[in-house]
Amino acid sequence: MSGPVTRRQFMTRAGLAAGGLVVAPSVLAACGGSDSKSSGSGSSEGKGDAQVWFDNWTLYIDKPDDELYGKGGTLDEFQKATGLKIKYTEGINDNGELFAKIQPLLSKGQPIGPNIIAPTFWMAGRLITLGWVEKLPLDKVPNAKNLITSLQKPPSDPTGEYSLPWQAGIAGIAYNQEITGRELRTVQDLWDPAFKGKIGMLTEMRDTIGLIAMSEGIDLDKPTFDKFQPAFDKLDKEVKNGQIRQFTGNDYVDDLEQGNYAACIGWSGDVVQLSKSNPNIKFVVPESGGTLWFDTMVIPNEASNVDDVAKWMDFVYDPVNAARITASVQYISPVQGVQDELRKMGGDAAELADSQLLFPDASTLANLQSWGNLDKEQEQLFDEEFAKISGT
Amino acid sequence: MARRATADDRGLRKSKWAPYGFLSPGIIWLVLFFLVPVGILLKASLSTKPSRFEEPVFDWNFSNFSTAFGDYGTEFVRSFVFAGIATLLAILIGYPLAYWIATRGGRWKNFLIGLVVVPFFTSYLIRTIAWTSILQDDGPVVALYRLLPWVGADGRILATPMAVIGGLTYNFMSFMILPIYVSLEKIDFRLTEAAADLGSTPWGAFRKVVFPLSLPGVFAGSLLVFIPAAGDYLNNRYLGSPQTSMIGTVVQNKFLVQFDYPQAAALSIVLMVIITAMVLVYSRFLGTEGLAV
Repeated sequence: MSGPVTRRQFMTRAGLAAGGLVVAPSVLAACGGSDSKSSGSGSSEGKGDAQVWFDNWTLYIDKPDDELYGKGGTLDEFQKATGLKIKYTEGINDNGELFAKIQPLLSKGQPIGPNIIAPTFWMAGRLITLGWVEKLPLDKVPNAKNLITSLQKPPSDPTGEYSLPWQAGIAGIAYNQEITGRELRTVQDLWDPAFKGKIGMLTEMRDTIGLIAMSEGIDLDKPTFDKFQPAFDKLDKEVKNGQIRQFTGNDYVDDLEQGNYAACIGWSGDVVQLSKSNPNIKFVVPESGGTLWFDTMVIPNEASNVDDVAKWMDFVYDPVNAARITASVQYISPVQGVQDELRKMGGDAAELADSQLLFPDASTLANLQSWGNLDKEQEQLFDEEFAKISGT
Repeated sequence: MARRATADDRGLRKSKWAPYGFLSPGIIWLVLFFLVPVGILLKASLSTKPSRFEEPVFDWNFSNFSTAFGDYGTEFVRSFVFAGIATLLAILIGYPLAYWIATRGGRWKNFLIGLVVVPFFTSYLIRTIAWTSILQDDGPVVALYRLLPWVGADGRILATPMAVIGGLTYNFMSFMILPIYVSLEKIDFRLTEAAADLGSTPWGAFRKVVFPLSLPGVFAGSLLVFIPAAGDYLNNRYLGSPQTSMIGTVVQNKFLVQFDYPQAAALSIVLMVIITAMVLVYSRFLGTEGLAV
């Protein structure tokens, strides 16, 4: 059903490759020792003459017919409106990988290259606690007032001074109906012996364990390792008996398209985007519940051109621009007024304004849970157990 | 007379110190980039981390090693089995190829050897990920594979030991071909004519003359394939599954995800010691002159 390599797959891979390339210099710099100035300028060279460098996840911005960033897309419009040059990379595939990449530099007070990165809320929380991100110049981001109330001052950033949400989304079940031959509705459906060896899990521990925990009747608001043991046991069982094929980061979209997975845990927007080109690929919030998460924009320490970064944040918090991004990435926008803008855009975009996955109503929200805070010791226990089971 | 003796003296003194002079870049390199890092690794492996984001403290913590053996024995064994099979396959595929180029290559020899190296123009990561496209479950390769009588309609190649071993073999194949080619190149093939004159069959001449003379190449190639393959993690990351996880995967996770540097260091040292022991046994078996390649 799929051709050799679609354009998107190629772009995903190119993003991965870029990730690999970014690792190398940071590892080298980590070995470089105390000469912070020289390695610092080395990594900022990658920015070229761009004032803003945003390192993000794949499939996470609009790039209409991408000739580099797409004519009339948000990146293009930003450059036209401000006269600034932006560099946009898709180097983030997994929060753990991201942390490993930036930790050697940030812990030594060196710049990492990009001046905005998009860690998920809990990773942003970790970076804030470690003091590795700068306070946002919110006085220069007037549009920040458009942030939806439910994401203001979240537990990961209690003062709201360090992070602005980029997009929010839902982790649920993604499946390829051509392979499953039926609709899936519950997490139990993933353990159907007919799908043996064709089920994928995310390396994102909170989404994988979160979904399984909810299916075992465990709430996510006050997580402790003891309480979650049944979820880990379940995961372990399904790995050992070969039901689960692999744990991946954002690259699960390839496995889904290539028919390697019958079903997997996936992120709402990615899957809705995929289903545009392949209607057999579907997304469902399992009956026992999905996780609600958000990714953030943060400015790492020692970043250059902070005022220009503020202009970018202000630009994407304008509902018109935010709606353009939403129409493409199909995640939950953190910006108020997007629903109205989508209706104004008409066509496909207007339909999105009524989608439960983008603008969940009270009954959908009641079926979604966000993770409570995991303290350092608990997080370590969770991560160690998850690593042991997933073998990644 | 006296003047000549002095000249000899100087020559003698020169020759006494000259080798060390020439060796010093190598020795400095070895100390700086091998001995010192191993020392740091050893120290880390005997340390304890008070918590995840704090620096490790050195306290003779030998429990890192018992955990390394206790918890990850399976991964160690699997790494050596996979690397061993990959090495054997590389010999079986690489030897005939090197032999063919060395004996039949003619004026194309350098060009053909160049082709062996061409894959290195692309990054290792990209080459490995490319296999996930080639071997995808919906792809033509798997469709053919499923026609095999013992495979069946659910058969797959990705996320199996076969894919991981195949990836290892593919990625390190050149390191096998090149040294074997070099050792075959040096052989005077008139020896096989002499063997024929003495009544040997061509196969006998190969087995008793050519193959033994090429063993140094096989030995060097095996080391160059086995050692990186045993510690590899990328092939398992992209082509494998939780059931095929190798020790490199564990080290990578301990080091980069969990920041458990002491454990990661202990696992690395155990890996290094086991590989060294295996290489010593292997070199005894094949003859140490192999090291002279």
